[in-house]
Amino acid sequence: MVKHWWKALGVLIIIYTFIAGMLVPLRPGIVDVVPSSIRTGEEVKVEVKGYNSNFEKAQDSLRAWLKMDNDRALAASRIEVKNDQELTATFNVPEYLPINSKVKDFSVIIDNEIDGASVLPSGVFITQDSIDPEMGQAVWRNSKIDKLHDKEQVTFPFRNILSETIRNTYFHVPLWFAMVFIFLGGVIYSALYLRTNDPKFDDRAQALTSVGILYGILGLITGAIWAKNTWGAYWSWDVKQNMTAVALLIYAAYFILRASFEDPERTSRISAVYNLFAFAALIPLIYVIPRMTDSLHPGAGGNPAFGGEDLDNTMRMVFYPAIIGWTLIGLWIASLQYRTNRLRAKLLDIDSETSLQGAMLDRLK
Amino acid sequence: MKGFIFATMNLIQEIRTLIGKDLLLELRSRYAISGILLYVFSTIFIVYTAFINVQPETWNALFWIIILFASVNAILKSFIQENSNRQLYYYSLVSPLAVILSKIIYNVLLLLVLNLLTWLAFSFVAGNPVRDTGQFFLALFLGSVGFSITFTFVSAISSKADNSATLMAILSFPLVIPILLTLIKMSANALRLIQDTGIQKDIVILIAIDLILLGMAFVLYPFLWRD
Repeated sequence: MVKHWWKALGVLIIIYTFIAGMLVPLRPGIVDVVPSSIRTGEEVKVEVKGYNSNFEKAQDSLRAWLKMDNDRALAASRIEVKNDQELTATFNVPEYLPINSKVKDFSVIIDNEIDGASVLPSGVFITQDSIDPEMGQAVWRNSKIDKLHDKEQVTFPFRNILSETIRNTYFHVPLWFAMVFIFLGGVIYSALYLRTNDPKFDDRAQALTSVGILYGILGLITGAIWAKNTWGAYWSWDVKQNMTAVALLIYAAYFILRASFEDPERTSRISAVYNLFAFAALIPLIYVIPRMTDSLHPGAGGNPAFGGEDLDNTMRMVFYPAIIGWTLIGLWIASLQYRTNRLRAKLLDIDSETSLQGAMLDRLK
Repeated sequence: MKGFIFATMNLIQEIRTLIGKDLLLELRSRYAISGILLYVFSTIFIVYTAFINVQPETWNALFWIIILFASVNAILKSFIQENSNRQLYYYSLVSPLAVILSKIIYNVLLLLVLNLLTWLAFSFVAGNPVRDTGQFFLALFLGSVGFSITFTFVSAISSKADNSATLMAILSFPLVIPILLTLIKMSANALRLIQDTGIQKDIVILIAIDLILLGMAFVLYPFLWRD
């Protein structure tokens, strides 16, 4: 039992990932603002739709702003709460804006003592009829955004477009990390096989590679579901999607190669050679080319890189264990595969021996 | 140090002899190279009759597809044309490094000639939209090197199996895609279809891919040839 601790650890981590990843609520946020474009010089009623918010309960401490930049913001003159998720804020937009362009985007900020502050970046666009920054400066009634309620809760960040699908970070991304580790394990065993010619190592390499392909397919499926919800289509011909499909083709070819030899020693040797060569070709495919080209994925084409502000500390507490958990589960599946393969080979040996004996006995009769 | 220099000199001598041998074989039995050339010209003819007016975007894509298939066909025979007994004889004479290196160098030269002829023939029927000839030539050269390393190594693998032609296509096309994508981008820049100021980065990446694959081919080939 002592030597199986890593399997138990893997299962525990995965259970933890599912429970924490699925049950921890999202931080309150703003889903939608209507109208999203406003003209200057009018009094507008902006309907704000919140998510996981407590507008009604925190009615007394509610405040709302349209933020132009770090120094300048417009405060709401009146706030009417419809229910916990909906409120109407009234803003008096001045005749002129203190800027040099016709249109300017404003972030919508809502703050109350239960939810803390929530922001919708570029939520509202204000259009002015004529440009006059000095006039704008004169009529601008600035209200500083201060004394925001800073809430320390165990929550995942709320991101527009992503919203609840942010939980896929604990499945889609760790599956890729685990896949790379498992393929790397397969490559190491292939190299060991070439050094020692011990068929055990080749069997291990084969088992690990097949689990790697399984993880690749799972990563592709979870990614496609995520893409359907955020980018609008299961397959968007994004460079990473394409490269992944190619990588899976390369590893599918590994199994076709294995199937095309009769002699087991030759199969092991040549597929070990191919595995090493394919992994070398895979590095530019997965790491270099996606970083060069525009991509919808984070970390490319002007999108922020994964990590940094995307992952807050609560997410990190689920994300990093998830990588370890999926890797351990993958190793367990691979070890099962390895053992069934060995057993099958042994059975085949016994089978062919007994049938040979039977044939010889038949001859003798 | 002296031993190392001697070994290197020896290796170069072996490689030169082997390349000479391959060239002689090619010239003696002209069916292989003329088959490839015929393939290229008939493909170009079909493409031209199908499209008549070839736009630069189409030109770029079709050019590299023709090159890709011609290269696979040209390199496929590298390890199959001589039977295994004769190969065993070579291995008793020279080092495996000399064998793979001579094949790669020979195939680079072969592909370079093939690519230039394809460019010439394609320009003849469909016009030549290339604006930056130097850069396009560089793309052709780096493409020849990358294709040659990948396809030569894969043909060494697939020559060990019975259905080597099928295996060659299955194994090599996915492997060559990173090189092909970078090449298409480079040549699109040479055709001025895109304006890329960071094209040096692509060149460096191509060279890096080529070097990685060449290194892997060196390290792994000795395990492949002994049978």
